Amino acid sequence: MSAVPLEGFTTALLSAALIAAVPLLLAALGETFAEQAGLLNLGLEGMMLTGAFAGFFVALNTNSAYAGLAAGLGAGVLWGLLFGFLAISLRVDQVILGLAITILGAGLTGFLFRSLYGARFPTLDVSLPKVAIPLLAEVPIVGPALFRQQVVVYLTWALVVVSSFVLSRTRFGLELRAVGEHPFAADAAGVKVFRIRYLAIAIGGAMAGLAGAFLSVADLNFFVPGMTVGQGFIAIAITMLGKWKPGRVFVGALLFGSLRSLATGLQVVGVAVQPEFILMLPYLGLIVALVLLAGRTALPGALAIPYERGRR
Amino acid sequence: MTSRAGIDSSTTDKAGSQDSQNVLVEMRGITKRFPGVVANDGITLTIRRGEIHAVLGENGAGKTTLMNILSGMVCPDEGTIVIRGQEANIESPQDALRHRIGTVYQHFTLVPNLSIIENVVLGTPSRFVLALNQAEQRLREMLGGFELTVPLQTQVRHLSIGQQQRVEILKVVFRGSEVLLLDEPTSVLTPVEVKELFGILLGLKAQGVSLVLITHKLEEALEVSDRITILRQGKNVGELGPAALAGKDDVELKQRIVDLMFGGLPPQENGGRAKIAAAPAVLSLRDITALGDRGTLAVQEMSLELRASEIFGIAGVDGNGQKELAEVIAGQRLAVKGRVTLDGVEITNCGTSAAVKAGIVYVSDDRLGEASVPAGSVADNLVLKAIDRAPFSKRAMLNWSAIQANALRLIHEFEVKAPGPWTRLSTLSGGNIQKLLLARELALQPKVLVCNKPTHGLDLKTVRFVLQTLRAQADKGTVIVLISSELDEILALSDRIGVMYNGRLLATFERDEADLETIGHLMLGVRI
Repeated sequence: MSAVPLEGFTTALLSAALIAAVPLLLAALGETFAEQAGLLNLGLEGMMLTGAFAGFFVALNTNSAYAGLAAGLGAGVLWGLLFGFLAISLRVDQVILGLAITILGAGLTGFLFRSLYGARFPTLDVSLPKVAIPLLAEVPIVGPALFRQQVVVYLTWALVVVSSFVLSRTRFGLELRAVGEHPFAADAAGVKVFRIRYLAIAIGGAMAGLAGAFLSVADLNFFVPGMTVGQGFIAIAITMLGKWKPGRVFVGALLFGSLRSLATGLQVVGVAVQPEFILMLPYLGLIVALVLLAGRTALPGALAIPYERGRR
Repeated sequence: MTSRAGIDSSTTDKAGSQDSQNVLVEMRGITKRFPGVVANDGITLTIRRGEIHAVLGENGAGKTTLMNILSGMVCPDEGTIVIRGQEANIESPQDALRHRIGTVYQHFTLVPNLSIIENVVLGTPSRFVLALNQAEQRLREMLGGFELTVPLQTQVRHLSIGQQQRVEILKVVFRGSEVLLLDEPTSVLTPVEVKELFGILLGLKAQGVSLVLITHKLEEALEVSDRITILRQGKNVGELGPAALAGKDDVELKQRIVDLMFGGLPPQENGGRAKIAAAPAVLSLRDITALGDRGTLAVQEMSLELRASEIFGIAGVDGNGQKELAEVIAGQRLAVKGRVTLDGVEITNCGTSAAVKAGIVYVSDDRLGEASVPAGSVADNLVLKAIDRAPFSKRAMLNWSAIQANALRLIHEFEVKAPGPWTRLSTLSGGNIQKLLLARELALQPKVLVCNKPTHGLDLKTVRFVLQTLRAQADKGTVIVLISSELDEILALSDRIGVMYNGRLLATFERDEADLETIGHLMLGVRI
């Protein structure tokens, strides 16, 4: 370790890990809602990219980061409702639909970006203020990393608790889980299966869109086509490895966020490895995690299966 | 639904004021037609407050359709339903629940990964944040003497079938149902669980709940009911009230009900087959012991010798090891002990393809799961077991014209109603699928045919066809092992009858020695 002081470096690394975890966490929490309701949204990557572009576009034109985030969220909701219409009402195959949305999202945002900005790469001149939590932010090393963050980061953490509560303790959560596990039984008990599934995928889309917008508006301040680099798929894996429990999903997102920031950190320190190898780390970690935990995931009973009354 | 209330009420109101006050639900002139079958033909049924009312009839008599109409799963073509004196329109399960009619289906509608209490409150109106503790409290108050023995937080998938059924009952009672419809509630239960269930039903009756028990089991209907309605071929052919049922153990009463159920004829004669000659055994089982899916002993030291042309009926309540025994014979389940020999050659644990080659075929009762590929075509399904040999394939190449010709021939021979050989199997009716499965197995010209509940859920015409086909096959020399929980099916076909209980063969009878009552008792593990 050379020029960088160890303490500052650790703080920066930790802080970067927490920020890198945010989009993963948002997208995975949304996917948790969708999958618990029986909808496998493989379009997460495309929805994130769309959210990133919409957020970037609006933030660039309004000079407001919050407007950008809202735009990303709105774009995600639209994708969610489209996914819902096709998968729930028209009973289109969810795997094909999700992959189509991923490819379409990448193509569409790339096309729009190129036609609007050509070869330029405009950067956003917006920033979300960092809020330091008194006292806690003064704790050495971890203090500044954990407690001097953007408001959105705190809100995302709060969402973990809220999601967990909604899923386990509310009527909506119970109906959502029932619909994903055994829609026939839920219907017989008087649950409105379609309505619950639409709500679930709208939440999933909203969070994916917000995740993308966080990436372009709050974290990087620019947009590049394909900038999510597979984070949507990592989020899907985090959801499954987290067994659809927000708390476990949080841990998973932090883990993969750390791997991402570590990749950057190692480059900063100048570890003599190919940069491509370092960038590969999160994905390698994903495969290792999948191998270690393989077979221990029990999918929701009706995942990716459309529901139709009178047919089991 | 056409309204005929005006005409009917004048006739039914003669029943006396005391009685009509007690009437909760009246189904009047209910008719429902399905393609090719009149499932319900002008049925009238009256359900009174606080009574257990059994609807009795053999398979295909229209019991389940009648109940599905009352529970909102099926809409009738004609007739009216009057609930508490008001004509009611029941178009969905929710409508039925609103009229305080709850249903316990034969296939449970519980969500396995939710807890008992979550399943109970699912779908009931409540605040956004669930108050599960309050719901538990309320449930316990309603429970009264009704014991569940497991904590209400237990996930339903960990419960036994009997416990799951109790949760189903709790679920409908929690919604304040005054009428409880139970579709063949004992078919999945062990004898002890049946006793417990009846205790629960009597408890509910004491609280003023009306119970409708759909069943084809005469003894069970007699044991708990205050009133029995008998259906035959979609018609209500008789109703016996408390007075008529007073002499419960009367043989004459039973005979009268059996006559009503089967139309005065004994439940189909055994087509006068000649006695099976004392020939050497074709299939013999020695001390077969096998484990069930959950690792418990399912079959225990069963021995059996079957001769050519013999139809051996294995009677028993579902889940007493019949399925596992069938799978051992078919080479599909390992016998942990014992030997299976065919024509003197040992084939124990030889695997399915060797068993088929040796001449043993098996028609499972799980028609769309285990026995076929529902998404495949009729023609594909018909060659599933012979696809590895000529003329259907040569080296790695399939011979489509041979496969198609085979399908056309079998469709014709077995009178299957299918649009063509390339139709998706799952689009056919249960009866036609069963015919195709039999066709496929019999085309292999087996020495032994094992079939599990071959007529379960089929219409009467198909039942007759299947029974005739089996008998004709036996006449050709094939040994047939017929497994069924339907005694009439067993009695109609078998030359010899064995009763299985708890994995053991309790007794065997020659056909002419067998009587319904003795076998019925043995099926419940009661030795006389």
